[in-house]
Amino acid sequence: MVEALKTAIAERLADLEMVIGWEMGFDALHATPLFIREEGDLHRLTLGPLAVHNLATYLPGLKGKKVGVVVKGCDSRSVIQLANEGLIKREDITVFGLCCDGVISHRKLREALPADLGFVEQATWHSDRLQAVVAGHAVEVRLQDILADKCISCRYPNALAADVLVGAARTPAPQPVPCQDAFDALPQAEKLAFWEATMARCIRCYACRNACPLCVCRDHCIATTRDPLWLGQENSPAENFMFQMIHVLHLAGRCTECGECERSCPVDIPLLLLRRSMNRVTEELFDYQAGTTPGQTPPLLTFQVEEARINERGW
Amino acid sequence: MDRFLAASQLTALADDLAQTGPVLAPIAEGGSVVFRWYRPGMRIELSRMASTSPKAATFPQTEPLLAVRREGEAKTPTVEATLPPRSRTVVLGCRPCGARGKEIFGPVFLGGVHDPYFARRREDALFMAVVCTRPETTCFCTSVGGGPADTVGVDVLLIPVEGGFVARSVTAAGEKVLAHALFAEAGARSAEADAVIAKANAAMPPQDDFRTAPEKLLARFDDKDFWERQSAKCISCGACTYMCPTCYCFNITDDDLGLESRRIRTWDNCMSYLFTLEGSGHNPRPTKAHRLKNRVSHKFSYYPTIHSGTIACCGCGRCIKHCPVGVDIRAIVRAAQEYGG
Amino acid sequence: MNQNPYLPELATLVEVIEETPNIKTFRVVLDDEEKMRNFTFRPGQVGQLSVFGVGESTFVINSSPTRMDYLQFSVMRVGEVTTRLHQLQAGDKVGVRAPLGNGFPVEDMRGKNIVFIGGGIGMAPLRTLFLYMLDNRADFGDITLLYGARTPVDMTYKAELPEWLGRSDVRTVLTVDAEYPGWEHRVGLIPNVLLDLAPSPENAVAVTCGPPIMIKFTLQALKKLGFEDDQIITTLEKRMKCGVGLCGRCNIGTKYVCVDGPVFTYAQLKALPSEL
Repeated sequence: MVEALKTAIAERLADLEMVIGWEMGFDALHATPLFIREEGDLHRLTLGPLAVHNLATYLPGLKGKKVGVVVKGCDSRSVIQLANEGLIKREDITVFGLCCDGVISHRKLREALPADLGFVEQATWHSDRLQAVVAGHAVEVRLQDILADKCISCRYPNALAADVLVGAARTPAPQPVPCQDAFDALPQAEKLAFWEATMARCIRCYACRNACPLCVCRDHCIATTRDPLWLGQENSPAENFMFQMIHVLHLAGRCTECGECERSCPVDIPLLLLRRSMNRVTEELFDYQAGTTPGQTPPLLTFQVEEARINERGW
Repeated sequence: MDRFLAASQLTALADDLAQTGPVLAPIAEGGSVVFRWYRPGMRIELSRMASTSPKAATFPQTEPLLAVRREGEAKTPTVEATLPPRSRTVVLGCRPCGARGKEIFGPVFLGGVHDPYFARRREDALFMAVVCTRPETTCFCTSVGGGPADTVGVDVLLIPVEGGFVARSVTAAGEKVLAHALFAEAGARSAEADAVIAKANAAMPPQDDFRTAPEKLLARFDDKDFWERQSAKCISCGACTYMCPTCYCFNITDDDLGLESRRIRTWDNCMSYLFTLEGSGHNPRPTKAHRLKNRVSHKFSYYPTIHSGTIACCGCGRCIKHCPVGVDIRAIVRAAQEYGG
Repeated sequence: MNQNPYLPELATLVEVIEETPNIKTFRVVLDDEEKMRNFTFRPGQVGQLSVFGVGESTFVINSSPTRMDYLQFSVMRVGEVTTRLHQLQAGDKVGVRAPLGNGFPVEDMRGKNIVFIGGGIGMAPLRTLFLYMLDNRADFGDITLLYGARTPVDMTYKAELPEWLGRSDVRTVLTVDAEYPGWEHRVGLIPNVLLDLAPSPENAVAVTCGPPIMIKFTLQALKKLGFEDDQIITTLEKRMKCGVGLCGRCNIGTKYVCVDGPVFTYAQLKALPSEL
């Protein structure tokens, strides 16, 4: 698949300022975004289960430039959503879409290994498993055991609205995410207690915000402004949770569940628990999944006197 | 002085120390390991380097600076400095890099200006650091003057040996702690500890030589293209600065609580647009390229230039490991050093 | 200064002067009489004004150390703290942390001819030095003050301008960007008026402050007139929090504007990385 992608990129690179893909990162278990500016950069391009980043995150910051981006199915939804909201110009973007077999959760991988990820000495990927040497121990881990939750529930493994689609199309086989069901089943008081405890760990580094492709206010975010003053700078569970709730609600009808917020959290806060709950509500109320249909207006950017699924005056 | 602490006694030691003062320890929590103020029942986790640094012991994320009170309609408020209470604070189970990190604060916070908040916390803190027996892919402490058994900023070194730790005092305050009844004779384990340290040092990867970094980074200052390429993948969040044991930049804000208000100091992040935004609307560091340049140059050029060559980095690698997009500060410094051949 | 560098002195606003639609001048007296009596500073040094519960911002002390009835700050309404400051009245309490920063190199300027070039609110840091020199007039050579604003309405220190214009021992020139009903002084952008005045660089020092675009063209004009880099002095704006060199945001390379500045010669600035 990677060779076909390289060929496709090479064909179009002359018309583009850059193409964003992935290369291997600081060790054998981490890939990192790659900005391909000339053909000489292409040999570094890599694909596979370590290509976890949603590269659409970079697009609003490159507005006005002709840019190519390599996207998985989930990431392609961010491109569509950004274009639907006018945050990028779709015609400026060349979408190199992948038919994706899923990416890993580094958190799950860490739990599957005998020592922390940083002790990796070697790693080799086979189609369905990883063989690695970690802290002197040879280990083998099945990909299905360390797949990111979003890949388990994935409805769109093949990139949508791609200009170039690479790989063999996959048939989606979404499964429920076990942790979400367990969490949703908790009584409200326990949910609150969980967040109070968990938000004490949040350090308000805003990795979740800046990794989010739809969180475009960044430099002017109410999390740090004094005018308006919505949040204090004290690090406390209440302020931290308030920030996270604002983050979630600003994504209502916009979140594509790419999972970048949760993946980016340096202290492993399961932020997707909030996103999935909210997305369930927007799907129920508006029959809407963000970033699945080019040209569609997001429900909270429009208005209908009678919303079909909201019973406002049903007495 | 060497003593021995059985692994099974670590919790008992934390419980005991926590009775006479705060204990900051790496705690396993929700799949993460983070430094927490220890309470009995928490699980201390030493097998993984904590995601957060032990910086909070000497530089908490939120430090109340002033309390302001107004009585009724009176126009004159009372303004009081809210210095932290005096009490011995033990950091139990950080790594040597974490203990070294706070030493970067010294020349700044206790140099020309005396910061009484940091000074008090620094004086009262005692660091018991665990020797690292094996480097991670992101570790580079030996390239910035540290090491897996470095004793800079450490009071007691905990050296993993069979069945527990040899606790080796580095300072007089550290030696006092070792008088605790939970510590036993070290005996022959001292030699085992020496061997562990020798092996740990030998296991470190080859060092980077960052000595030319100050001038080489400065030489790239006006090279917009260089910094745009280096920062292309950066998403301008604060994971690197907030995980960093040596980052000391802070914000000061007021919280209005009606008749009372307080002024707090909180960690701030040089990667944020607002960090340098001026009242006029002008921003000297408007893009992430400007900001990453300042972050890297502060650590590897400006600080060492001001403070006799010391690099403002302890090589813990947290900024690399926890960066959502894998920005590698080592690679940026190397690229500046190697620029143009 | 106080032992605790963050602890402000309580002070009372004794007078508030409305200068322009968005600039007010605040005259402040420390509540501790002894501290007020012993307060000293150098022209060009800055202070942090606190509105408790809101925050703290940095302003130059624009009164002169030769006139210590009060400390004066001029504040443009641009953000949270300045907006709240503008709502305060005489009798209200503020906090003051001062003096901070380096100040003008007054000793090196003795015996020299001085050319002040101020634009808009940039007149504030010049005022302190200008008054200091008027009060020590014999120590300095010819003094020229060129002060410009967009319109007469935007001019600060209007109450003092007649006195400055009337003095025979200084040459005061005022200018506005465009013709304005009733305006009897110069019309034109500051750098152009400066070229027209053509002060000699001989034994002279130029002191300038104003918005970045004005500074840029004023520097060009001064170079054209033959001023060397070390004959040009300016004072910088930066976002500041601690004011004592710790919080890390006002640095230009290795220099911290709050401690090593805000006053720099153009020669010093040129030696720093270009991050204004």
